[in-house]
Amino acid sequence: MSAATPALVPLRVAAGFVVGVALLAVAPWILDFTPYSHNLVTLAFLLISGAVAWNWMGGFLGQVSFGHAALFGMGGFVSARLLLSGPVPAPLAWLVGGLVAGVFSLGAHPALRLRGPYFSIATIGLGESVRLIFTYWEDFTGGSSGLSLPIDPDMKHQLYWWGLGLAAIVVGMSWLMRHSTFGLQLLAIKADVDAAGDVGVSATFYQDLVFVLSGAVVGVSGGLYASYFSFIEPNDMFGFDRSIAFVLMTVIGGVGTILGPVLGAIVFVLLRQYLLASYPDLYLGLYGTLLIFIILFEPLGLAGLLGRLARLARSWRAPAAEGGTP
Amino acid sequence: MERFIDLSLSAIMLAGLYATMAYGLGLIYGVLRVVNLAHGGVIMAGAYLGWVLFERWGIDPYLALPLVIVASFGLGILMYRLLVRHLPRGPAGGPASLLLLFGTWLVLRNVAYLLFTGNDQSIRTSYSTASVPFLGTYVSVNRLAVLGVAVILPILLQLLLKKTYTGRAIRAVAQNADSCTLVGVDVERIYALTFGIGTALAGVAGLLSATIFSFNPGFGSGELLKSFVVVVLGGLGSILGVGLAAFILAVVEVFAILVLPSYLTSAVGFVMLVLVLVLRPGGLFGHRVLG
Repeated sequence: MSAATPALVPLRVAAGFVVGVALLAVAPWILDFTPYSHNLVTLAFLLISGAVAWNWMGGFLGQVSFGHAALFGMGGFVSARLLLSGPVPAPLAWLVGGLVAGVFSLGAHPALRLRGPYFSIATIGLGESVRLIFTYWEDFTGGSSGLSLPIDPDMKHQLYWWGLGLAAIVVGMSWLMRHSTFGLQLLAIKADVDAAGDVGVSATFYQDLVFVLSGAVVGVSGGLYASYFSFIEPNDMFGFDRSIAFVLMTVIGGVGTILGPVLGAIVFVLLRQYLLASYPDLYLGLYGTLLIFIILFEPLGLAGLLGRLARLARSWRAPAAEGGTP
Repeated sequence: MERFIDLSLSAIMLAGLYATMAYGLGLIYGVLRVVNLAHGGVIMAGAYLGWVLFERWGIDPYLALPLVIVASFGLGILMYRLLVRHLPRGPAGGPASLLLLFGTWLVLRNVAYLLFTGNDQSIRTSYSTASVPFLGTYVSVNRLAVLGVAVILPILLQLLLKKTYTGRAIRAVAQNADSCTLVGVDVERIYALTFGIGTALAGVAGLLSATIFSFNPGFGSGELLKSFVVVVLGGLGSILGVGLAAFILAVVEVFAILVLPSYLTSAVGFVMLVLVLVLRPGGLFGHRVLG
């Protein structure tokens, strides 16, 4: 953690970030996206936001959640209900969806104060309970037949930038978290809750804070998802597969890193689109195999792999430079 | 009153099944400090193995018990040697072990799906619907048999842990693995054995459930949750505690049917888990390691 002290954002990082976001923002005009690729990229933005938010809990705080679909679904259904109920501006509906999801994750506070395996197993149960309740709460979610929102091509078009904005904000927050005292406090809690308490880091307070933030972001991305696809259904939104997806994206990319979940989400979207469309029967096994291999061979995922390559390149260049000066 | 006796009896018989599921999870956690998230997957695998033996070769599920025990023991040894052995030990390895075993579970589910499709299956023997009169109501013969197995197994397990050298070594490793290395216990071997015994118990639990409930490749996530509730409630490692805790869970679940809509009964285990973890994190009977 060498880069934990500087208070200002280094110019290079800030510039790279701004240029990257700007390029993505003008990409739809320059590249003349087909509806298909527009779909794919927007979905990637939403999943990036979700994965980064999962990573705040799973990576920074060390609390592995297998139930994030509950928050995603809640954000989606609350904002869809609001949009259906009357002339509510869409951004407000998404925000309310996010807030509800955030408050819900705070409401689950007793369960979420657990640590380690206790926490993870509780999230499996929590996710399943929420899915059951929402599937049977037909007045709110439409039951297994789901909810349809009016299709609005303009809105669909705009959602590209909303998604990009959300992803950019969330990645920026990740960076700030990692490079601030707050991030160090989270790391302390992850390493040893009791020791963190001894040096004055309130584990309860910071965990709650991260849960609310993570829940709110996942909720907002659920709301955007509902608006983009105009049809949502409880078994899909709250499904176990979706919870797994958040875990998987982050693990593929690199748990606890800043760019890892971004890379992971992109790989995940591509995998799903190009590989699993042809082998729908194999997707669970493929996810499982990926998890196993990553944990055994490169626990930091793609980010770890890139770091390794960078070190390799450096060590390869260094002797070469030495050889050049006799 | 008749209803009450009915429900109490089914609670007792359900408790036997829950206890069998939970012993495996508790044993592995007690010795290796790893929560076997693939536990539900092994339970599912045990159910399918019993089903295949019954459907293809007509082997009665109770005669198939030894086969299922051997097969799921082997699966456990394999899982330990190939995967779990390579994990970092201690609290730092926590998230890694969860993710690794979760991945294993997904693979098991997918294999079952490819082999047997996603359709619901069940083992229907000639005596599946037979029952005997008892205290003015009827008790299913099959459920009695399940209860019998569930009572005999922990006694055997207890004998193994108390009377044999291997059992004493397992208990010693649970207390302090480093000291065991010093006095010449092959800790790796004990870990592998323990993992195998734990999964063998899960396999048996799967076979027993298959004679009562229908199952598909997704079967086992509720069972994992229940096993965990029982282990936490019973305090880790105490066999009597696990039995009692299984009984408590079964009673609460069975009687919840009276007041809750049926789709919510599966949430009962979860609510209990949270209550127990928050109110009595050490379990009802305190913390004991394999006593």
